[in-house]
Amino acid sequence: MSVLPGIASIAAMALYAAFFLHAESQAQVLGLLALAVVGVPVLARAGWVARTATSLEAHPLAARSASVAALAAIIALFHDQHFVMLMLASVLLYSVACLGLTVQFGYAGVVNFAGAAFLGVGGYTAAVLGPHVPHALVLLIGGLLAALVGSILILPILRTRGHYAALITVAFGILFRTFVEVNDALGGPQGLQVKGMNLFGWELNSPLKDLSFYANYVFVGLALAAAAFVLVRRLERSWVGLNLDAVRLDETAAAVFGIDVARWKILAFTFGNFFAGIAGAAYAMMTGFIAPNSFTFGDSLILVSIVLLGGLGSAWGVPLAAGIVLIVPEKLQALQEYRFLLYAMLVIAILLVRPQGLIARPARQYFPR
Amino acid sequence: MDVGLFGQYVANGLMLGVIYAMVAVGFTLFFGVLDVIKFSHGDVLTAGAFAGLATYAGLQALGLTSSAVQLLIILLVAVAAMAFLGALIAKYLVLPLRTAPPLNTLLLTLMLGSALRECVRLFYPQGANPKPFPRLLPQDAVALGSFTLRLDNVLLLLGGLAAIAAVHFVITRTKLGLAIRAVAQDAETARIMGINFERVVLLTFALGSGLAALAGIMNGLYYSEINFSIGLLLGVIGFSAAVVGGLGNIYGAILGGFLFAGLQTVGAVLLPALLPEVPSAYKDVFAFAAVIAFMAWRPTGLIAEKTAERV
Amino acid sequence: MSFPKMSEALLSCSGLSVRFGGLVALDALDLEVRSGAIVGLIGPNGSGKTTLFNVITGVYRAAGGRAQFSGQDLTGMTPQRIYAAGVTRTFQRSRLALPLSVFDNVMIGNHRLLNHGLWFNLFRRSGLRREFERNLAKAHALVATFSAPLAERMFDAAGAFSMIDRRRIEICRALVSEPRLLLLDEPSAGMTHEETRELMDDLLAVRSRLPGLSIVIIEHEMNVIERVCERCAVLNYGRKIAEGSYAQVAADRQVQIAYLGTE
Repeated sequence: MSVLPGIASIAAMALYAAFFLHAESQAQVLGLLALAVVGVPVLARAGWVARTATSLEAHPLAARSASVAALAAIIALFHDQHFVMLMLASVLLYSVACLGLTVQFGYAGVVNFAGAAFLGVGGYTAAVLGPHVPHALVLLIGGLLAALVGSILILPILRTRGHYAALITVAFGILFRTFVEVNDALGGPQGLQVKGMNLFGWELNSPLKDLSFYANYVFVGLALAAAAFVLVRRLERSWVGLNLDAVRLDETAAAVFGIDVARWKILAFTFGNFFAGIAGAAYAMMTGFIAPNSFTFGDSLILVSIVLLGGLGSAWGVPLAAGIVLIVPEKLQALQEYRFLLYAMLVIAILLVRPQGLIARPARQYFPR
Repeated sequence: MDVGLFGQYVANGLMLGVIYAMVAVGFTLFFGVLDVIKFSHGDVLTAGAFAGLATYAGLQALGLTSSAVQLLIILLVAVAAMAFLGALIAKYLVLPLRTAPPLNTLLLTLMLGSALRECVRLFYPQGANPKPFPRLLPQDAVALGSFTLRLDNVLLLLGGLAAIAAVHFVITRTKLGLAIRAVAQDAETARIMGINFERVVLLTFALGSGLAALAGIMNGLYYSEINFSIGLLLGVIGFSAAVVGGLGNIYGAILGGFLFAGLQTVGAVLLPALLPEVPSAYKDVFAFAAVIAFMAWRPTGLIAEKTAERV
Repeated sequence: MSFPKMSEALLSCSGLSVRFGGLVALDALDLEVRSGAIVGLIGPNGSGKTTLFNVITGVYRAAGGRAQFSGQDLTGMTPQRIYAAGVTRTFQRSRLALPLSVFDNVMIGNHRLLNHGLWFNLFRRSGLRREFERNLAKAHALVATFSAPLAERMFDAAGAFSMIDRRRIEICRALVSEPRLLLLDEPSAGMTHEETRELMDDLLAVRSRLPGLSIVIIEHEMNVIERVCERCAVLNYGRKIAEGSYAQVAADRQVQIAYLGTE
């Protein structure tokens, strides 16, 4: 499988993204969207999407390098625009959280409708510990705390199946939000201010040269996303990934062949929440505040939608879907009011028309040959 | 605590319980028939309430001012409209996704709920603000010691119970109900026996959605106010109640509804009594935490699902 | 692992009972399987054959009695521990992970012999690679015994294959961990006589490489039982009504009544 389809697609997407981010008038934006809505299904029918996916799978190093290069190009193009840099950083951080969610229900089948709550745990950690603890450590603690909070749900989740397990996470999301809102020690409904990130002396809120200071967060976001991506890919391409899939697809058969279902569900759930916590801490430091309104049930739905839209279990699909979900509504200024409605309708349309998501998950290749 | 306050809590708890039970019954019906959790159910409730409000505005404009007539027409319009909407949702959104992984249907109905909510918010005149709901029931009250018994509360309570009883009657005593139960148990066999699967599904959704509309109107009459997001919390609560009671079981749904209301009431009463600094807003935290703990104890609800996996 | 002497009982069920509410699915069953033996399990539908497999493998809980395997008491053990002791099975209704590849499915059966440590899998990639290559070769050889064309498509999704190939994949999944007791649930269902004969040939070929492997086969296809099994047991309504060689059992009056009814 040649490396070219993958690289070509990445380049094309980078070009499209550049145009999209640059577009000023609504007409331009809508035109570009129309192009995508018409063009992508045509390409899919011609088999191009499948070829891209296989190509990316077969040449991971080239694919990753190309992505980083594409991102660098976009940063260079828009280096002084706050809005674009903020968007990019958000996409990268959301990708980290959604990669975690992919492990939870893309691989292990543990549905999590409280993803935003775990982001919130990370965010509040950053708010509370930020002034006192080195921020690299704060990120780590945010992740660990999120994993710890998640472990409260482990017992009910292990004992339930399907819809019941989903209910538990829904209830928890609401519970957590209410808890935080009512708790004045955590700022109540107003929330808390969060100090900007300071990594080993590098103050991220002060801009480098003529770059927007958000670009600093793009760099950190890229590092986190890259690490998350590599870890998740390695996880999938291993016996552990196989165990998770077995658990998701058929618990009884898995048990009969020695797979400790509970252990792997716990691992996946904890792993995913850890990522979400780290992403939440970084995101809070970037935006400068955290409040109960930052992580509603709706936000958890957005996370789940990103994972599904990208293609359940497809790691490459995550940043792509995150980009679409986060950036497109922002660009449709005139339709700002309607964006949630349009977004909901878009997801419904995709679920009806292309349920496997944008990039269907390819078969496991342990080591690309 | 004095009797009056106690009575107030009980009355309130019962009222909430009836509404939750009605929503829960809808969830359980849909699940029984199609193994699907229609998360947009709560928002159908909202749409029903707003349909009722719009009808009221229309009736006022037409000069019809008799409360009883208004109430009747509002109920008819809202229930019919939502029944129709429910059937549409079933036909064009839920049934086509029957073969897809359940997560897809889950997400679809969640998004649908959001879409409905947004539509109300955006397209109803000033939908983003809470809207007063007309007081169409007699406003008399009877004083029993320190407890004030409102007549409209009693009527609502009775109305709700009657609706649930009616649904129960339909399910257990009519041919349609038999068909619904047959499909819920084994769709394949039901088909072979000549039952029109699609028609039963559409009718089930219509029934459940009509019930939700009724719950929405009742909610409006009770609080004299509605807003576009009432469906979200009611939906989650209704779903929790249905699950706690055991998905697919109508008695379980009713039980679950009252149980959840009970949990909330107990939380609202107990928490300030036990921990004075804790605001009663924690009652929702308490209720949901109790639900989660309960699910750990009884993973398939109070009245367990009768399915068994064939190994 | 060391195998007990050829004549020792590897599996010994005594008084094994399984109940579902009021229904008695297995009624005080006694059954012995010696090391290296192939035993057939036959009986009308619903007679408790699959139930026996399920209770041995820990999927169902026994209401009474015991199952002993190589000195260990299986009753009450988790399915995972029973697998670790060396018991594997196939299912009556094929339970493959269809979206996963042939190799993946076979490796699920190989769980006991793989390293599942998180650190190893994430960070010792060259070690993982070696383990992968070694097991790929092993799986390839095993699958090739049953079907060479199948072995050439190790990384195609299991769902892409015909039913007989899926059956082969399932059997390989059950064999790859070198078990001591293999429980086959209607392996020939849906196959032609030719395919069945071929399957049994391949199975016996594999078995010759695993001395001491005991097999219990549930079958409705009497040719298979006759050809392959040294002994068989007949179940009816959860009870054992006959046991012996195929010839003995086929001539047994009770067995004939069970299958054909009384005159």
